[in-house]
Parts: sequence; C-alpha cells; structure tokens
Amino acid sequence: MMKNTTDRFFLHFYNSMTVWNRNFIQFKKTWSVSLFWILIEPTLYLVALGYGVGSYIPTMNGVSYIDFYFPALMCVSSMMVAFFECTYSSYSKLTYQNIYNTMVLTPLEPFEIVLGEVFWGATKGMFSAFGVVFVATFFGIVDLAKMIPVFGIIFISSFLFACIGMIVTSLVKNYDQIIYPTSGFIVPMSLFSGTFFPIDQLPIYVKILTFLLPLSHTVSAVRTLLLEGYKWSILGHVSVLVILSVICLKIAAKRIQQKLIS
Amino acid sequence: MDTNKTVIEVKELSKTFQDKKVVDGISFSVFKGECFGILGPNGAGKSTTMKMMYCTSVPTSGSMMILGMNVQTNVSEIKSKIGVIPQDDGLDQDFNVKENLLLYSRYHKIDPQIAQRRTDDLLKLMRLDEYFEQPVPILSGGMRRRLAIARGMINHPEVLFLDEPTSGLDPQARLWIWDFLKKIKSEMGSIVLTTHYMEEAEQICDRVAIMDKGRILAMGAPSFLIEEEIGQEVLELECPIQDINYIAGRIKELGFNYLIIREQIYVYIKSTQNSDALLTAVRTTKMTLRKATLSDVFLKLAGHELREEANFR
Repeated sequence: MMKNTTDRFFLHFYNSMTVWNRNFIQFKKTWSVSLFWILIEPTLYLVALGYGVGSYIPTMNGVSYIDFYFPALMCVSSMMVAFFECTYSSYSKLTYQNIYNTMVLTPLEPFEIVLGEVFWGATKGMFSAFGVVFVATFFGIVDLAKMIPVFGIIFISSFLFACIGMIVTSLVKNYDQIIYPTSGFIVPMSLFSGTFFPIDQLPIYVKILTFLLPLSHTVSAVRTLLLEGYKWSILGHVSVLVILSVICLKIAAKRIQQKLIS
Repeated sequence: MDTNKTVIEVKELSKTFQDKKVVDGISFSVFKGECFGILGPNGAGKSTTMKMMYCTSVPTSGSMMILGMNVQTNVSEIKSKIGVIPQDDGLDQDFNVKENLLLYSRYHKIDPQIAQRRTDDLLKLMRLDEYFEQPVPILSGGMRRRLAIARGMINHPEVLFLDEPTSGLDPQARLWIWDFLKKIKSEMGSIVLTTHYMEEAEQICDRVAIMDKGRILAMGAPSFLIEEEIGQEVLELECPIQDINYIAGRIKELGFNYLIIREQIYVYIKSTQNSDALLTAVRTTKMTLRKATLSDVFLKLAGHELREEANFR
C-alpha cells in the first residue's frame, strides 16, 4: 500500500514535469524579456528603498535598513512572480489558448497539469529570487552560505502562491477579475507582512492578523535565517507554508479538474 | 470492417448537465476498421457523446467501453491508446509546427527518438514537412487541421476521434482531408467522427448514427439508411404556397411519401415505385429529379427547423 502510494506520487511528479518542461522551453525562447524583470526590478527597489529611503533610517531592528529590507524583497518578488504566472498566464492557457484542454486529451491527468503549472510558477518565483540575490551581491549584502536554505524556503513559499494563483484562475470569469485578489490580498500582503517595517512593535491584534498572511511567515523565516541564524521558529513558519501549500494544491487541482472534465 | 471485434461498446449512455438531458440513453457499437459517423444538428449531443468517449466528460449513467476498458476507471490507459482531434484544433500557439508534435509526444511519454522519427513521418504524410518551422499562428486553417490530425496520430492510436474535422475549411482543404481519412481508414484501427456535412458522412463513413435531442434516431450504413428512409430518388418540386396542399394531395394519392419545406416539396421515390405517374401528375410545376442522399434522411428525421447554437459547457 505504502509503496503503491509513493509510486503514484513519483508518477504524478514525473508526468507533471512534462508540463513544466513545456513552459521551460517556451521561457527559453523569450528569456531576454525575462532578464528585464529578473534584474532591473530588484535593482530599482534596492536603490530606491534600500538606499534612498534607508539613508533616512539609521537602523531597523539593529541592522541597516537595506539588510532588513533585502530578505523581504526576495520574498515579495518571488511571491508576485509566482502568483502572476499562475493567474494571467495560466488563465490564458485554461481559456483562450486551450492548452490544458489539449493536454487532458493525452494520458496527463488534470492533477498533473496543475502540479506542473504550479511547479513552473514556483520556478519562475525562484528566478526572481535569484535575480534579487544576484543584484544584491553587488551591493555586498549577501551571505551566500546561507542562501541555499533561504532558496528552499522561497521555493516553498513561491509554490504556495502559485497554488493560490491557480485557485484564482479557476474562480475568475475574465482577466479583469484577477484584479480583486491582487489588490485585495496580494498587494496588502506585500505591504503588511513585515516587509518594509517590523511586525514586532505593532499592537498584538494587528500582529496576530499579520500572521494570517502567508507571506509574513516567509518573510519571518527568511529574515530570521539571514539576520539571526538557525532558530526553531523558522521550522514553525516553514511548516505553516507547507501545510497551506498542500491544502491550496488540492483545492486548485480539484477546481481545475472540474473545468477540464465535465 | 470486422464485425466480430468491437472497439467501442456503448450501452444506455446518458449525460445530464444541470437537469438537462444532453445525451439520453443511447447504445451503439463501433467495430474494428470501421469509420463511424455521428450526425446531428447543433445541440444534438454529438460532441458530448464524443467527449465521453475520449474521457473528458463523465457519463451520468450507462456504460461505455473503449478498447475493452471502462471510461470511468481506465482513463489514462484509454487516452494513451486513442487519438483525439478536437474541433478547435487546440494547437499550442507558442510553438512551431514540429515543436507541437514533439511536445504532444512528450505528454504521451513517447521515447524521444521514436517521437522524432514519428514526427518526421507524420509531417511528410500530412504534407507539412516544408513548413515544420512555421509558427502556428501564421498557418492556414487547412494546415492547422492537418497538424492537429498529425498530433492526434503521434501515439499510433487504435481509435481516432475527429470532432467536426472539416468545419470552417475551404473546399480544397476539405477534399484533401476526406481523401486522407479514406486512405488511412484501412490502416487505422477505427475512426469515429462527428460532422454537419452529409456528403462527407456519405463518402467516408461505413456507418452513421443520426442524433437529435440526445437520442439516436437511426443508425446504419449511409446507403442502407437512404434506401430505408427515402428510396432511390427524390423529386424536388417548387410550387406556390397556395397550391402546395393540392399538389401534396395528388402525390399522396399516388402513394408517395414527401416532405414539405416552405415552398418546396420533396417527394421520395422508392426503387419499387414507378415515377412516371408522379411526373405526369405534377408536370406543370418546376421540378428536379435527383438521387436520394443522406441529407434527405437527415432532414426527414431531424426536421428542418433552424437550430440555435447550443453551448453546454
């Protein structure tokens, strides 16, 4: 029984990689466009906020503002990229491009299609985190030794936001409706998850509220790891991200399945 | 056609969408090596029946076996052994002709070397080999359809499903596809298609099922259905609306069946009937005598009122 389940898991994973691969091949065709957002955006943010705004702030939680802000920038960029990949791009594939409808004519199952897509969304999220780190090395604010576990956390977080994006894709009726979850959830989250200012000094109620936002767990985990080293609290935050990912993946897969199989 | 081997076995199949019965208890079989056509007006339930066969729609009740496998439980296995050409082609617009085939072969988990070979063969077969690097958006309608057919054949399917394979194509492209289907019919396991074009069905299908309102109205070889429902010839009479009843009465007296559509009377002439008496009786009006076709069967069974486009998805 156990073996059967693991076999199935690996089969699903293997099949989902063919979906991932389709996107990767397409990405390779237009990588130069992607280079723009991968490198230019983090540069602008680090200069404008890290140094521009940061020069007026002597220290934040005991470190320079740019050191405080850099972990959050990685988290926010990867979230945005993963979420937008699995909303606008996936919605187009689901509706106008008929890509999922064609995939489902082959032995690929709807779950595998969704899994492949969210893996791809997460991968693109990672690209953006790589971009931030690459740029940040020139600013001398990166401790490369700690980057491997950080990338692990960012990947899980990107995966979660890709799943959330996929749920949105299954819910909206047109492109315009994607604005609702963007302005109502993603953007507020990018502002209030301890990204630009610490959550610690906020009133307790607000503090509890911010921990309902998944991104605050990503930011806390990554920032703690980079600024304070390995702490048990990181494990707690990552667990939240993993559990939410599993739940959101299941919801997304079920809803997309209903769209593809009538 | 081998009537001993059934590739598709459908029994009492029904599909309900939001209390609306789209397919209502249909039964039929498709044999190995045969081309089976499902005909019917828009909203007849043809596409839904097709979708249930290629497993993107789940039957509400009844049973459906494809290549001996149940569509409710063996979905992936069935999909690996069939080829589907959907009505909208569903080509990947982000890739070129050859890449489309290679990508699809990946979805089918075909070994890359084999896929490469099959892709080249199919491109030649479908006369797309010169255009292998063309991006999909610039292809003509006929080329897209040919590419979609090639894609449907990449896994060497035992059954090929084509939903409206020639709709929206120019006459040349349509003819090419007819010839192609006739040619591969013998080599392929079986072909199942839906179509609006009666002429197409008459030419390429060994058997057809005429569907309307979710039911099968008639099923059999086109020539058999024509003989059974209509006869050998059809006399088309054009006459003023005030005379229609009088002329129809005369035709009835002579023992002929007929169908009236607006100012047109279609008189069905069986091979056993003598048309001379009929021709004398209605001599005065404008008329054309022609061979009976599947369209006559279709109009007789499915009626001639205009169907609104129904979209059940």
